[in-house]
Amino acid sequence: MNRIAVTGLGAISALGASIEDNWQAVAAGRGGIARCVMGISPHGPGGLELPMARVADGYEAALDAALGRPVAGGLDPFARFVLAPALEALEQSGLRGHPVLEERTAIVFGHGLGGLATLEAGYERLFGLKSPRMHPSTVPKVMVSAGVSAAAMAFEIRGPVFAVSSACASSAHAIAQGAAMIAMGQVDVAMVGGSEAVSTAGSVRAWEAIRAMSPVTCRPFSADRDGMVLGEGGAVLMLEAWDHAQARGATILGELVGWGMSSDAFHITQPSPEGQARAMRQAARQAGALERDDILVSAHGTGTPLNDAAETRSLVEVFGARARAMPVIATKSAHGHLIGGSAALQAALGLRALAQGLAPPIQNFTTRDPECDLDLVVGAARPITSRLLLQNAFAFGGLNVALMFAAA
Amino acid sequence: MVQTVPTDDQLFDVIAKEALVDRALLNRDAALEDLGIASLDVISVLFEVEEQFGIVVEASDLEDCKTLGQLIDKLKAQAPVSA
Repeated sequence: MNRIAVTGLGAISALGASIEDNWQAVAAGRGGIARCVMGISPHGPGGLELPMARVADGYEAALDAALGRPVAGGLDPFARFVLAPALEALEQSGLRGHPVLEERTAIVFGHGLGGLATLEAGYERLFGLKSPRMHPSTVPKVMVSAGVSAAAMAFEIRGPVFAVSSACASSAHAIAQGAAMIAMGQVDVAMVGGSEAVSTAGSVRAWEAIRAMSPVTCRPFSADRDGMVLGEGGAVLMLEAWDHAQARGATILGELVGWGMSSDAFHITQPSPEGQARAMRQAARQAGALERDDILVSAHGTGTPLNDAAETRSLVEVFGARARAMPVIATKSAHGHLIGGSAALQAALGLRALAQGLAPPIQNFTTRDPECDLDLVVGAARPITSRLLLQNAFAFGGLNVALMFAAA
Repeated sequence: MVQTVPTDDQLFDVIAKEALVDRALLNRDAALEDLGIASLDVISVLFEVEEQFGIVVEASDLEDCKTLGQLIDKLKAQAPVSA
């Protein structure tokens, strides 16, 4: 089985339009959550004020300039939110224009929902204006594969290209899928990640209806946590066969050493510690890390009462008492929950944390909860000696992924 | 009877936005093929031209057009007339 190097990272979120901006923000304990009025539309019920972590405008022009032609305007925000970090990750890897892109490179991106802004604009015409005519670009902008197709065309990548979807675990499944193709020798390079663009009138109302959203902010593992906060953006990792990366003298940023996937087969919204533990155990076993304790845990950590308590129980189930000595970070407290894009962004930030030997603090934390008795990194960033990163991603419908990375 | 005809620049703006072509490349002599304007792009342009200017043209009426000048002249000829 081929070893898998990480040779490029890219990110966009409320924290900034590059991985460096995102890392600097979380390391400094700076957040991107702000109160927004969402869902103003001519035929809607009026705006809804809620905390969100939204991407600032301006990145579209930079994307068009870097690609040398107007591309951003033809894409739904969800596809732009993965194309921008794809460009950044590809350039960091040094593979832009490389012959490996012609056949031996895959793209797999994960998205939970696809082109909501485009779809809602079309429905506003249809149901609001009672216009029978939808914009002709509606279907190609809404489809969940619009992001991978945009990246394939922008960078002339001609290997296996497809999107995957598993709600909040989508980009984690994308990373696992890309890794499997490299491990098997099917491709040498896989551009993997995901994104989401949930700040639309219909989407925020639908999320609010689940009653899982905090009216205040995201405070993972804190006793007074009261829900998640939606975020926009995406992230991309360049995975590469270890020998391929070494042969071309690439800078290796980390190694993907294990990935586990499981399904709870239990409930459409409630988590199950048993299913989560199975995914983590698989990843740790593959990485040879079941007995290790130098692990930085980048928790799924949504900030809902149920998730964080269940995640604590599943970590203890897998690692026993050692789980309570592992530093735990939860960067959704800074960039919100990017749904399909979360796992890739959190993994990218976790890799930076490993490389820097610095764990960013869980933001907005106030009070310890006996049900979340882990070594939470709170207050300020903390120096760490961890050599491994465990990235958890748990989705509605009980779809779990755990990824294990090693420091370079 | 008054016919409200959009200007060349107004139509070029719509074409640049809908067909994702650099606005600076658009002039009456430019060939559609050279600009990479495909059939779906033309349909998107027609959608917006009807939205903004009330001009109704079928894509099949534009099959003979080779240059942007020919295309926008066909669009202008169908501009709506009001009393």
